[in-house]
Amino acid sequence: MKKKVLATLLSTAMVASALIGCVGGGQNAPASDGAVAGDEAAAGDEAAAGDDAAAGDEAAAGDEAAAEEEIPTSTFGDPNGTHMEMWTFVELHGQHYGNMVEKWNEQNPDRTIEITCTTYPYADMHTKLLTSLTAGTGAPDICDVEIGQFPNVVAGLDTWLVPQDDNAAPYLDTMVPARMDVYAGSDGHYYGIPYHVGATVMYYNVAAMAEAMGASQEDIIAKIDAVVTWDDYVALGQEYLAAIATEGKFWTSVDTAGCDWLWIAMAEHGEDWTGGFDGTANVQLDSVKKMLTMQQEWINNGLAQVSPDGHTDLEAGFQNILDHNIVSFPKAMWYMSRFTNYMPEESGNWYIAKCPVFEAGQPCSVGIGGTGTVVTQQAGDPDLASEFLCWAKMSEEGEQLIWDNLGFDVCNTALWNDDAFAHDDNNQYNAFFINYPYDVLYSIKDDIGAVYTTAISPTINEQFCNITLNDILENGVDVEEALQTAQDVVDLEQ
Amino acid sequence: MAQTSSVNAKETMGMMAKRRILTFVSTAFFAVLSFIIVFPLLAGLIASFRPGTELIRRGLSVDLDFSTMTLANYKYLFGNNADGQRYFMWYKNSLILTAISVVGTLFICYVVAYGLTMYNYRLKNFLFFLVIATMMVPFEILILPLYKEMITIGLIDTMAGVVLPGICGASTIFFFRQYMTGLPKELLDAGRIDGATEYGICFKIMLPITKPAFAAMSILTAMGAWNNVLWPMLVFRSADKFTLPIGLNTLLTPYGNNYDVLIAGSIFGIIPVFIVFLCFQRYFIEGMTAGAVKG
Amino acid sequence: MSKFKKFFYSQKAAPYVFVLPFILSFAFFWIYPLCSTITMSFQDIKPTGAEWVGFANFVKLGKDTAFRTAVMNSFEYMLLTLVLLIPFPMLYAVLMDSRLVKAKGFWKACLYVPALTSVVISGTLFRLMFSEYATGQMNVITSALGLGTFKWLKVKATGLSALVIVACWRWTGVNMLYFISGLKAIDTALYESAEIDGANAWQKFRYVTLPLLKPTTIYVLTISVYAGLAMFMEAYMLWAGPDSPNNIGLTIVGYLYKRGIAKNQLGYGSAVGIVLLVIALTINIIQLVLNGTFKKEER
Repeated sequence: MKKKVLATLLSTAMVASALIGCVGGGQNAPASDGAVAGDEAAAGDEAAAGDDAAAGDEAAAGDEAAAEEEIPTSTFGDPNGTHMEMWTFVELHGQHYGNMVEKWNEQNPDRTIEITCTTYPYADMHTKLLTSLTAGTGAPDICDVEIGQFPNVVAGLDTWLVPQDDNAAPYLDTMVPARMDVYAGSDGHYYGIPYHVGATVMYYNVAAMAEAMGASQEDIIAKIDAVVTWDDYVALGQEYLAAIATEGKFWTSVDTAGCDWLWIAMAEHGEDWTGGFDGTANVQLDSVKKMLTMQQEWINNGLAQVSPDGHTDLEAGFQNILDHNIVSFPKAMWYMSRFTNYMPEESGNWYIAKCPVFEAGQPCSVGIGGTGTVVTQQAGDPDLASEFLCWAKMSEEGEQLIWDNLGFDVCNTALWNDDAFAHDDNNQYNAFFINYPYDVLYSIKDDIGAVYTTAISPTINEQFCNITLNDILENGVDVEEALQTAQDVVDLEQ
Repeated sequence: MAQTSSVNAKETMGMMAKRRILTFVSTAFFAVLSFIIVFPLLAGLIASFRPGTELIRRGLSVDLDFSTMTLANYKYLFGNNADGQRYFMWYKNSLILTAISVVGTLFICYVVAYGLTMYNYRLKNFLFFLVIATMMVPFEILILPLYKEMITIGLIDTMAGVVLPGICGASTIFFFRQYMTGLPKELLDAGRIDGATEYGICFKIMLPITKPAFAAMSILTAMGAWNNVLWPMLVFRSADKFTLPIGLNTLLTPYGNNYDVLIAGSIFGIIPVFIVFLCFQRYFIEGMTAGAVKG
Repeated sequence: MSKFKKFFYSQKAAPYVFVLPFILSFAFFWIYPLCSTITMSFQDIKPTGAEWVGFANFVKLGKDTAFRTAVMNSFEYMLLTLVLLIPFPMLYAVLMDSRLVKAKGFWKACLYVPALTSVVISGTLFRLMFSEYATGQMNVITSALGLGTFKWLKVKATGLSALVIVACWRWTGVNMLYFISGLKAIDTALYESAEIDGANAWQKFRYVTLPLLKPTTIYVLTISVYAGLAMFMEAYMLWAGPDSPNNIGLTIVGYLYKRGIAKNQLGYGSAVGIVLLVIALTINIIQLVLNGTFKKEER
């Protein structure tokens, strides 16, 4: 008997020592040895991208920023002021607060602030934040939270976060209401302050189209402006494809790892698959079915390809656009910074227009993506932090910097038709595109719908980005069938 | 096959020719196999001389066009710029963490193994069973409670928080124990007769003759610490404490043209491990295969 | 003072002092978190507090198609690695151990090198090589072979192949070294006597090498089963995250990570962990039986 026990011990030990030994270390099982973190970053991006928005409304010029910054931790402001810790996953966001804190200290010499901004990889930051909030200690004062992750964070309501209704109140009348609502908790309080609307628009490569179709850019723009419905859009696409007649060229690409197209469809029909905060999620919506059926047709008749690597907001997607394999695609306004950062050679080629709709008269845009900034209950001075945050993100001064440096479509509607703000030719985005982005935004001012991000959203997104969209667009599975499967999975979680 | 131990002199010319062919074929086989195995790393090495974004946009393939290769990535990495400085800060942190892990882990594990080997007492087998039991649970399961614990006892964002939970590496204890079982216990009694304390015996008499085990384990521990990511990532919060893998991971985002640094930095990051491996190959294999034959 | 001195000479106290660090570490860094995990698997942990839910997490796991996929993937992967990572490394080891190979040390080093490389780095390299574009290395190779290009990481069959290729890349050399050290322990006299009995190379392998390699084989088998089931990082790196098209890269540990860490569902994630724990313990028991019968044969 004793021998047997010893045998067990030894055999187990062998297993274990090997497991650990192979990987070569003392501490952990092999699975933990590798690097979760970075992949987390990448994972996060994927997830987020799938999620509704890439980790990315940001990214504006990450590289340039990196070169200027010493290390990802930066401290700004008055060393004698109230100290605050701030976490973000985009270095430029941190810099925004750095700029704003200097201005704040000038204006409020009696209540100065010192802020330390730390930039973490996307997924790591959110994991860290959640664990610190759960543990009740270790969280920063102020933190950026990507919208896809927001439900996890806002689940803690006022035990975790500071309601910002009072400090946001002075700015609310000009803010896009839907953008405040997406960062509200189930108790109706505002917990997150937005950077941008993320209004979805259609990007067209006018230069490539003009060349292929042998028309002037003005003619092409006139044709694009005439597009109202998806049928018009398809017709224009077929015209383009007939003109170019080259294999490997497509009108657009559809996403298997992102739900942007479906969001547009839902907003147009005024539907929301999450069912809102108190509702029941239902993914078998008419709008979703219509969009997916249409996309399946596009794939079959060669109008569209499946986006390389799943969606357009990845390096492979940029390359695809640079190669002019696709000449039109819908994406949120924040995608402008992808052009200026990763596709600078495309300057002057692209035109921004509103998205087509299923039936004339429907809303044609939806706010996608975003980052809500929260103040945690662990903040040293929650009220000061909240007041500063609201001012830094919603005041006109703040919004100006957000547009100039981050390239976002700001939520303050009063600025959208402000000539000095929207038509500044020194602004890199105004210079890059054929038309003024804010003109498009202003023209769809009342047509921007919202799809909520609730506790069930991550499940829906994950199911669609991993399974459903792949099944429908790559494997040709029947739309109804795939949606039923998705609904079953979603039902298990609610 | 061919485990011949007959004397070569008796072989005929024909057999020798056959043998030569077999030798050639076998050696060539391993040459090919080795090439296949090393190929991805070579591909990475070659890629590190090209702009990183190309890789992400078009995939990695070996293109031996030397004219398009540049040292730009390495120049940038070693250059006086924020990315380069950051990279070497990670490098330095990794070295420090590795050194502390190795010294701490080896010391503790040696002592524990000593206690589990050199004495006879009631709880001995039970304790050894516990050592082995700890190896049966995947570390991931324990991460979240452990993380909370680190915060509660104030070890978050400290070197101690990273090193302590793994300092009693069960496999290391196991290896030491196995090694020490083979040592003559008479030395203990001799030491006692000479008037040494129990601790004197442990550190002054037994430790020196355990050196080979230390050598084998220090290399494996160092490798583990150098490549470990998940736990340090959760514990370290300040960017100036990040280690090399964590740092490299921060570059792994589709946004930001950091692939140049990523690929060159990764390749440069494995070089020290390779050098150590080449120098101490024997110990690596010893430490690794210790459990395979015995038992 | 003398009491103090006595302590240093006490053979009774000494072992406990020596193992004290382990006892502390065991209590704080193992038992406590393990108990938390078990507790949590029966809870629904919300930001506002934990709530006992009995077996609800496990019931949900039973209905969870993604979890089923994860378990299937882990087992398929494990079985494939067993088929590829035991016989071949064994043959390589026998060949390497013969006198037929020149420059052994160099080849051994080459084959061992992948085990030195961090999964982050090797995983990233493989992901880029398995890229779906015609310019990715694997597609360059398959095109050259006239097989056309593949969307490697989007389809189940090729995705699994990619994982297995990475596994073979990483572990072939390591397993070979295990077998070599096993071979070294075989008494050469046995081969000599086999030769005298007129055994040919194959017979020597079949009747001497194979049986005497059994302990090593069982050992390698066991670690392969373990490593196969616990695989996570390879998949995580290949798909740059825990998500993959149609969950072709989802494994048990991957699911645990996804639920417990990425989604912060501590309770559900812990339940996944407990299932894994049960599987691991079951395999341990099987291993014990194997080892036990083996012991009987030998003694």
